[in-house]
Amino acid sequence: MRAPISTAIAIATGLLVLFGAFLPIPVLLPIRQILLSWTIPVAATAGLIAILNLLSVHWRKLNSARERDYYSIFLLLAFVATFAAGLILSPTDPDFQKIVTHIQFPVEASLMGVLTVTLTYASIRLFQRKRGWLAVLFTASTILFLILLSGVLNIAENIPLVKELLAALNTLPIAGARGILLGIALGSITTGLRILIGADRPYSG
Amino acid sequence: MDADFVWTAVAFILTLLTLSYLLGDNPLFRLAAYLFVGASAGYVAVILLFEVIVPRLVFPLIFGNPTEKLLAVVPAVLSALLLLKLFPRLTSLGNPSMAFLVGSGAAVIVGGAVSGTLFGQIRGAIQPFALSQSSSGLQAGGQLISGLILAIGTVSTLIYFQFSARRKANQQTSRSTPVQMAAFVGQIFIAITLGALYAGVLAAALTALIERFDFLRTTIQTFLP
Repeated sequence: MRAPISTAIAIATGLLVLFGAFLPIPVLLPIRQILLSWTIPVAATAGLIAILNLLSVHWRKLNSARERDYYSIFLLLAFVATFAAGLILSPTDPDFQKIVTHIQFPVEASLMGVLTVTLTYASIRLFQRKRGWLAVLFTASTILFLILLSGVLNIAENIPLVKELLAALNTLPIAGARGILLGIALGSITTGLRILIGADRPYSG
Repeated sequence: MDADFVWTAVAFILTLLTLSYLLGDNPLFRLAAYLFVGASAGYVAVILLFEVIVPRLVFPLIFGNPTEKLLAVVPAVLSALLLLKLFPRLTSLGNPSMAFLVGSGAAVIVGGAVSGTLFGQIRGAIQPFALSQSSSGLQAGGQLISGLILAIGTVSTLIYFQFSARRKANQQTSRSTPVQMAAFVGQIFIAITLGALYAGVLAAALTALIERFDFLRTTIQTFLP
């Protein structure tokens, strides 16, 4: 058996947390709460390790003789500046919060804006390459829902039958989305249960 | 030069650098992307330290009562073992901590999927068939038809993702005719749903683009004489 200690820890922790949520056994509830309260700092440490790994990768890229990436220095400098400011000012300080409002928000919003052009270009490319009935239906649905989202048809809502027709049109994507959501949930449950019975061991690497 | 001016200038320059991607991938866009990732990583590291690790791990270990200290020892040991993942030779010592995280994470995901998504969505699918006494015949009929369309769409979408098939006598594998027909209906619903989602994302992205152009215009108007 591969990694017996880790497997035992994963199965025991998982089953205690799961049974604590669903079984009406009083002793399981505090055990579940303790386990979850332990998970939070360990998960935070995992997040810090991920950041340290990101920094080490960029440090290596900066010092690599073959494929030197000079952009990495900007990433490292931005990290050091932000981290130092956070340590000195604390995260709740309004001056530190300006990093979010004046660095993160403008870049995120601009990236979202850039998405308009890239998405439109991608949809045109898709339509050029795949001209089946599904592509036509997808495009028709996109155009129809863009019109609906724009609010142009709100004026016509008072006309008899139009309101019902719009409500019926809005029902169609809900049905598909519900199917997709249920599929995702069933997939998550299957994957989770495979870990809880030890069939999958993504931690033994 | 006051601090607000400097911050607005930073936001203005970063917006311009990011929007330069509209002309194609270029060094200015990469510069903005690298700065963004670095600043975000720094911000997340500070939040993790100040909001989670210090109050939930360091404080109870140093200033807590004996019970709190005892309870903080386990996550402290697990965190210390996890840190060994950074060293290739000692990486296997971090596996128990990863197992703990994966086990509790899987249980939380299973619990969330069952009580949050599965029960919630099934309840939502059943609801249109629970007709109230006060609704008129026409209303009830409309509600039933809407519920039926929703149920057909949901089930057929789920069937579309069912890929198990039987092997026929000629060694070919194919799904049975009813499953194929249901999958065809499911395909229609998926195309419509993805179209609607795409329209939603496109509308949101367009709103963000307009907001950014408005910010650029306002900044130029404010700071230029």
